[in-house]
Amino acid sequence: MTAVQARPAGWVGQGVDRVDGPHKVTGTAPYSGDVTLPGMLHAMVVTATIAAGSVTKVDTSALLTLPGVRAVFTHENFPRLNAGPQVAFGEAPPAPLQDGRVAFHGQEVALVVADTIQQAAEAARLIEITYAPEAALLDPAHGVAEPLPYLPDTRRGDTEAGWALADVRVGAAYTTAENVNNPLGLMGAVAAWDGDHLDFHDSTQWPVNVRKTLAAMFGVPESGVRVHAPYLGGGFGAGLIPWPYKMLAAGAARALGRPVKLMLTRPQMFKLVGHRPDTEHQVRLAARHDGTLTAIEHRAVSLASLDKPALGLLTAATGQVYACPNVATVERTVRLNRRYPSAMRGPGEAEGNWAIETAMDELAYELGMDPLELRLRNISADRHPGSGLPWSSNALTECCEVGAEVFGWARRDPRPSATRDGHLLVGWGMATAFYGAYLPVSTARITVYADGTAAVRTAGTDIGTGTYTVLTQVAADLLGLSPRQIDLQLGDSDLPDAAQSGGSGLASSLSAALQDAAANLRGSLLGLAGPDSPLRGASPDEVTCRDGGLCRTADPSASTSFAQLLADGELTQLSAEGHTRLPDSAETGMHQAGGFGARFAEVAIDPMIGRLRVRRIVTVTDCGRVLNPKLARSQIIGGTVGGIGMALFEETVTDPDTGRVANGTFGDYLIASCADVPDIEVLFAGGPDRFSPAGTKGAGEIGLVGVPAAIGNAVFHATGRRLRALPITVDQLMM
Amino acid sequence: MRAFVYERPADVEQAVAAVAADPQAAFLAGGTTQLDLMKDGVWTPDRLVDITRLPLRGIMVEGQLMRVGALTTMEQLAAEPAVTERLLMVREALLAGASTQLRNMATIGGNLLQRTRCRYFRDPSVAACNRRSPDSGCAAVDNTARMHAILGVDERCVALHASDVAVPLVAVDAQALVAGPGGQQRHIPLTEFWVRADEGPSIEHVLTHGELVTAVDVPLLPAGWRSGYLKVRDRASYEFALCSAAVAVLMDGDLIADVRIALGGVGSVPWRARQAEQMLRGTHVDPVRFEQAGRATVAGAYTLPGTAFKVDLAVATLTRQLLAMTTEANS
Ligand SMILES: Cc1cc2nc3c(=O)[nH]c(=O)nc-3n(C[C@H](O)[C@H](O)[C@H](O)COP(=O)(O)OP(=O)(O)OC[C@H]3O[C@@H](n4cnc5c(N)ncnc54)[C@H](O)[C@@H]3O)c2cc1C
Ligand code: SF4
Repeated sequence: MTAVQARPAGWVGQGVDRVDGPHKVTGTAPYSGDVTLPGMLHAMVVTATIAAGSVTKVDTSALLTLPGVRAVFTHENFPRLNAGPQVAFGEAPPAPLQDGRVAFHGQEVALVVADTIQQAAEAARLIEITYAPEAALLDPAHGVAEPLPYLPDTRRGDTEAGWALADVRVGAAYTTAENVNNPLGLMGAVAAWDGDHLDFHDSTQWPVNVRKTLAAMFGVPESGVRVHAPYLGGGFGAGLIPWPYKMLAAGAARALGRPVKLMLTRPQMFKLVGHRPDTEHQVRLAARHDGTLTAIEHRAVSLASLDKPALGLLTAATGQVYACPNVATVERTVRLNRRYPSAMRGPGEAEGNWAIETAMDELAYELGMDPLELRLRNISADRHPGSGLPWSSNALTECCEVGAEVFGWARRDPRPSATRDGHLLVGWGMATAFYGAYLPVSTARITVYADGTAAVRTAGTDIGTGTYTVLTQVAADLLGLSPRQIDLQLGDSDLPDAAQSGGSGLASSLSAALQDAAANLRGSLLGLAGPDSPLRGASPDEVTCRDGGLCRTADPSASTSFAQLLADGELTQLSAEGHTRLPDSAETGMHQAGGFGARFAEVAIDPMIGRLRVRRIVTVTDCGRVLNPKLARSQIIGGTVGGIGMALFEETVTDPDTGRVANGTFGDYLIASCADVPDIEVLFAGGPDRFSPAGTKGAGEIGLVGVPAAIGNAVFHATGRRLRALPITVDQLMM
Repeated sequence: MRAFVYERPADVEQAVAAVAADPQAAFLAGGTTQLDLMKDGVWTPDRLVDITRLPLRGIMVEGQLMRVGALTTMEQLAAEPAVTERLLMVREALLAGASTQLRNMATIGGNLLQRTRCRYFRDPSVAACNRRSPDSGCAAVDNTARMHAILGVDERCVALHASDVAVPLVAVDAQALVAGPGGQQRHIPLTEFWVRADEGPSIEHVLTHGELVTAVDVPLLPAGWRSGYLKVRDRASYEFALCSAAVAVLMDGDLIADVRIALGGVGSVPWRARQAEQMLRGTHVDPVRFEQAGRATVAGAYTLPGTAFKVDLAVATLTRQLLAMTTEANS
């Protein structure tokens, strides 16, 4: 029995080091930009310098005489493509270079292909394009507001009645700026055709969707399109959409009969792979003297492009956190001659949270109540405030209490501008966070071999978040092996289909798929057991994988090795697939929960020169089961840093008269530097979620949500000045 | 990127001759400005004359004067003990600039000659830029100026001179040593080295094509002086100044016996504040007076909606830094 006692409780829950770490630090992890194929050409995208109109002439003759230049594609000679398929959360924008129409400044209008990237870049610089400009729709005030694709307006109770009933009311407008995902890894692709077969190395968070989209647009069998994305230099959502650069790479390669590599430049990363759009919110909150909310009204608008609406979701979380009987949300997207918006870490809900949680702080001051106390009074901890069903998990109250304790909230002087440190004003602020549940269906395959090792395969991607590592841990526990005995491959569309690494749902989705695959594997292995096997007659639920074999859970000594089982079945390997099996919300009588959190921030401000420093942040998150505390912590730290950036620095500026990105470089678009990031205390609360088969709710995005409002509320506490437009900058803080 | 000729001259004379002879030639020092401009297609010389092997690196201190070779890197100068002891504001300005990696490449000569960070200047797809193409207009004035100047500018150009270290150097009356064609040498006070944008948006400095900065002569502050550099910016590191103040003072009890002031982040050239110096010399420490000196400095400001805040910010930055330098408590 000593062997059994020495066994660790399980790999899940341990802070296992990244299994892909050595590949990354030694430079052997192949990113799309690292792929080089024999005969490969290089492509450079040329972007429009007008915001609306059409391309009338492209002078290509001179370019084609430049050394190394193989082709210049415009709408006149680029292959004609079909429309892309309808895919929820993953629809492609219109195919590029089809008609010469320009819908935004920075749109792809030509593609130069040459022997080297330098030659392609030089030709792209020299290209002369003539436009017929038209009046561009750039002013949001003139745009037409339309409903969102994924979120209807909602109404619960009667907000007017709630408003009338209240003792205290607040209402204000809040805005957030356009932020851009801009992962460090430049995005791009290498396309290689062999007849109708396409091999496509890409920077994508969703290989299966790229496969499907390219097959449909090029009119080739989906079975012949293979998308490789084993590694991604980050994504933050930028890799969720089949962006036009993919069609450009594939189209050029098909037309030229040679592999083509197309990598975007850093400035192009600001324009061609999506962003978090500018948003505007009108919020009205009403409450009784005791703080009980009687009405929440949230109207919000996100800016969008002419050809692609915004994802929205600004109001998605609004009615889900607090037990308010009267809630109304109205959300619109306004189309302009602007770049394609998309999803960026905590999309929509992060912006909506800024508005709601700032308004809650305003309400607290209006009531003369501690902002934390106001939250605690209203949190709907047991039941979803809309459906009335019990939550599958909700540790928001615990998040608030633990955070307050660790932060020392009780010592806070509630009066604004009352806390000083020398000539600095010190402020403490807090906000709650919620990030909606997303648990899509994926498939995965497990194969066991006679030597007791196992291969795990799925098309899902690891965008740097740790999917390789956590799935190895999950598989190790399911198969009773050590992580070293598991070979996990991801990011290949020929492997079992998987959902996108988006919506913080992939780890949950794939963990559940692996659970199902492991159950199927146990069933198949039992089917191989010979007549003398101690496993004979057992059902898959009665057996467990352990030490390279299968045993009865109740009596581990009744076991047979994988090798023996395979030999009994005259096999060398055995595979089983599985998919994410989700409980039915109605049957189980619970409301599927997303992540919850509480954020506490301290700022110090020199009011004379408007200098703000975030001094410390305490962040407590309920993301369900924590598969790997080290990686989860990294995700929350990264999210928090993103939240600091959203609060204080990040803003893509668009020129009002031309629609051009005015600050499309990392010299001009500011993200938080190390010196801007204080000590971040990362804590987790709650336990496994009851709805999610693996107990997880996702840790990728929730970390960002709530950070801007906590900082903004701290600014109010420090200065008495309520700032409602992000980012909060020096000019707003000078007093 | 366009093809270009790359040359490595043997001495200063050859370097000067090579650039002087070719209107399309440029010097290459650390390359942190020059190569960016080439990659962005803003300025694509046909010939790059690499001066980094010339013997222009190093610092010599003789009495009250420090001679800094033009190829001395920003990090090297920041590490010089004489700078820490006698010109703290120079060290602070250097270390508040760029990043460690950049400072290890960037030279002092190159720093003085860095080009403006104006986003419109640096994007050749923008047609209107009087600095890049004379008489084409100014896209910054028409769009979103923020990281731009309010002093020494007008509607033709609001480009900022973004150097940090140039600000304290201007305050102490440093001089550039310049080698020209035919073995000519001249000294140019840094206060006269740059040309204000409102005196001609397309001319940035007084060097003629081919003239090479070989060194900068920097007077050290006499004993008893105290100096410091305050940089206000949108983030804590790795960002240019919205406004900065280099202040050196000699105190006599509560009296400001002597003072030198220059502002960064606000001028088309590093902005020496002589009037403020005069107003403060011989006065007592008095925040109200400090503010008046600041107001006098920015009196003629030309502002745009995006830069209007810099007027008050400049006054506040100078006041804050004067307080820090003149009151013991803030040291
Ligand atoms: C991302 C980034 C952030 C930065 N942040 C800051 C900051 O916060 N503060 C700050 O002060 N600076 C900052 N800089 C600017 C940086 O300090 C300058 O780019 C650098 O000092 C230039 O020096 P260099 O040796 O690289 O010059 P180069 O790039 O080699 O040359 C610059 C120009 O000067 C000319 N030149 C160079 N040496 C001589 C010489 N001896 N005589 C005549 N002409 C010469 C060149 O022809 C070229 O036109 C930043 C730069 C970058 C890229
Ligand atoms: S401010 Fe000067 S450099 Fe910038 S666009 Fe205008 S003219 Fe050009």
